[in-house]
Amino acid sequence: MSKGNNKSVMKIENLQAKIGDKQILKGLNLELEAGKVHAIMGPNGAGKSTLSKAIVGHYDIEILGGDITYKDKSILEMEAEERALEGIFLSFQHPVEIPGVNNAYFLRTALNAKLKHQGKDELNAAEFLRLMKGHLEMLGMKSDMISRSLNEGFSGGEKKRNEILQMLTLEPEVIILDEIDSGLDIDALRAVSEGINKMKDGKRTFLVITHYSRILDYIEPDYIHVLKDGKVIKTAGPELVPYLEEHGYDGIEED
Amino acid sequence: MNLITLKNKSREEIATLLDVKERDSLVEKFATLGLPNKKTEEYHYFDVEKLLDVDYKTLNYIPKAIEEGDKIEIIDGVVTKAPKGMRVYSEPCESIDMDHFDSLYYLGHLLSPRIIRIEVDGDCHVEILHKYTQSDALINYRIVISNQANRHTTMYENFEAEDIHNTLVLYGYDMHVAQDSTLRMVKLQVMHDNKYSMVASHKVNVAKNANVLLKNFDFGGDQSLQVLKVELGEHASIEAGHLLYLNENSKRGTASQIIHRGEHSTSKQEAKNILDGQARGIFDALIRVEHSARFTKAEQSAKSILLHEKAYMASKPQLEIYIDELEASHGATTGQLDEKQLFYLQSRGISYIEARKILVIAFANTLIEQVKDTRHQDRIKSAFEAVFYASNKG
Ligand SMILES: Nc1ncnc2c1ncn2[C@@H]1O[C@H](COP(=O)(O)OP(=O)(O)OP(=O)(O)O)[C@@H](O)[C@H]1O
Ligand SMILES: [Mg+2]
Repeated sequence: MSKGNNKSVMKIENLQAKIGDKQILKGLNLELEAGKVHAIMGPNGAGKSTLSKAIVGHYDIEILGGDITYKDKSILEMEAEERALEGIFLSFQHPVEIPGVNNAYFLRTALNAKLKHQGKDELNAAEFLRLMKGHLEMLGMKSDMISRSLNEGFSGGEKKRNEILQMLTLEPEVIILDEIDSGLDIDALRAVSEGINKMKDGKRTFLVITHYSRILDYIEPDYIHVLKDGKVIKTAGPELVPYLEEHGYDGIEED
Repeated sequence: MNLITLKNKSREEIATLLDVKERDSLVEKFATLGLPNKKTEEYHYFDVEKLLDVDYKTLNYIPKAIEEGDKIEIIDGVVTKAPKGMRVYSEPCESIDMDHFDSLYYLGHLLSPRIIRIEVDGDCHVEILHKYTQSDALINYRIVISNQANRHTTMYENFEAEDIHNTLVLYGYDMHVAQDSTLRMVKLQVMHDNKYSMVASHKVNVAKNANVLLKNFDFGGDQSLQVLKVELGEHASIEAGHLLYLNENSKRGTASQIIHRGEHSTSKQEAKNILDGQARGIFDALIRVEHSARFTKAEQSAKSILLHEKAYMASKPQLEIYIDELEASHGATTGQLDEKQLFYLQSRGISYIEARKILVIAFANTLIEQVKDTRHQDRIKSAFEAVFYASNKG
C-alpha cells in the first residue's frame, strides 16, 4: 500500500511463520494505516487466524522470518501481555471458556492492568459497574452475562458480544476482529457493528477478518486485502467486495 | 523420646517404654498394627519413619486454669482459653474406636491418657486455635468433640506456630456427631519453614440423620498427614472437601476411610490438589459401603493440577462396595494449567503471574466458596494468595 503521507501504525513485512511443522505464512506483507478499517478476506485455511495470532504473540506460532512493527518498533520479542498493554487487541475466532473466573472480575482486572500501565488510577467497583452498564446496554447483553464465569456456557453469539465488550472496555488502538460476524443473528450483528463503530474515532485502526460482506455493510472498510496461501495477494478498495462475492478467490490476480 | 524404639516391640515392652498401665487393649491394638512405615498403606506416600526417628523432647502436660476468650486456644496441647459457658475440660477418654486402621491413633491415645473434651452446646460457631511454641518437641494431645441432637455447629480449626523448628505433633480428634445434628469443621493449616510436622489421626462417628461437613484447607510446605476414619449411621451424611495447595518439598495430604454402615447414608468427598515446586500431595481415600448400608450414595472425585514438573500427586480414590442397591461415582484427573486459558488472559494485558493466579484460584474456588462465613472465606483466600506469591516471585 503506498498512500503517500498516510501514517501507518503497523507494518508486517515478509512474515513467515509456522504452526507445528507446517509453514502457514509465506512472506506476508501488510501495512495498516492509522484510523482506517482494513478487511481481510480469503479462503479457509489461508492463514488469516494465524496472522492475527502472530500479531498478538500466540504461543502456537513460530516466527521463521520477517517482522511486525507497531508504532515503528518491532513487537516480535514482546510478551503477549505487553502487546495488549500497548494497545493491540484480538477478538478471537474461538474465545476460550474459563470456568470459575468471574467475567466482571476478569474485565476489571484487565482494565486496571491497562490503567496502571498508563499511569492512571484504577477504577473502583462502582465506577466499573457504571461503565459496564453502558456497554452492556449498547451490546444488548443481559447484565448477568458479567456475573457468570468467563464465556462458560455462552452461546456463540454471546461469546462474540463478550469479545466486543472487552474491546469497548479496554479501548485498544489496533483492533483485530477474527470472524466477529460468524454465527451472529441479525440483531447481534447490528449490536456488534454498533460497538465497533463506536470505537471508530479516526485514530483507532481495525483489521476485520471476515468471509461475508454483510458486516462490511455496517462498518464500511477503507481497504480490502485478499489473503491466500499465506500471503496478501491483493489490496483494493471496498469495490472489491461485490466482485469477490460473485467470483470467489480463484480468479484474483496478484498485485 | 525417640518413637522408633517402639518398632517391632512386644506388648510388654511397649507398655514399659510408654509407661502405661491398665490399658492392655490399647497396647495390644498398637502392637498388632505396629509402628507405621513405608509399607503401611495409609503412610505409603508419607515419610513417617523419618519423622518418628528423632529424639524429641517430651513435654509435661499440666492442665492450666482456662481463661475466658473468644476462642478455644490450645497451646502445645494444653487448653489455655475457652469461650464463656463452653464446656471444655480434661478427662480420661472413654470412647476409643477399637477397630481403627491407624496405629498412630492408638499411640496418640496411649501417649495422652487424658483427652481434651469439648462439648458444643446449642447452635454456635466455635474457633479452635492450636498453637505450638516448643522446638524439637513431641507434642501429643487428643480431643473429643461432641455436640447435641438437633443442633447445628460450625467449628473453625486453625494452626499457628511460633518461631520454632523440628517439632512433631501427634494429635487428632474423636468426634461424635449426634442424631439429627449438623457439625461443620473448617480447617485451615498453613505450614512453612519446617516449624513442625504433624500426623493427625481422627475418628468421626456420624449418628442417625446427622450431617458432618469437613472442609480442609492445607496450604504451604512441610510434612503433615491427616488420617481420617468416618462411620456413617442410617440416613447420615458426610461432605468432605480437601484443598491442598503445596509448594517446596512439602509432603501433605489425607488418608481416609469413610464407612457406610447405615442405610440411606450419603458421602461426598471432593479433593482438589495444586502442587508446585517439588511438593507431593496425598489423597488416599477409600469409601466402603457395607452390607448393612443399602440405598446409599457415594461420590468421590479428585482433581489435581501440577504447576511444576517435579511436583507429584498420589491420588487414590477408591470405592469398595458390598451391595448392589446404591448410587456411586468416582474419578480422578491430573493435569496442568490450560495454556489456552492462560493465553486468553494474557492477551488482555494480564501478566503471566496474575493469569496463573486467576486460574489457580478458579480451580480452588469451588471449595473455598463452600465456606459461607465471609471472614473465614477471606482468611482462606489470603492464606492461599500468600502461598501463591511465595512460590511465584515476580
Ligand atoms: N494448532 C494448529 N496445529 C496445526 N495446524 C494448524 C493449527 N492451527 C492452524 N493450523 C493450520 O494452519 C492453516 C491456517 O489456519 P488458519 O486458522 O490461519 O486459517 P484461516 O485463514 O483463519 O481459515 P478460516 O477461514 O477457516 O478461519 C490451516 O491449514 C490449519 O489447519
Ligand atoms: Mg480463521
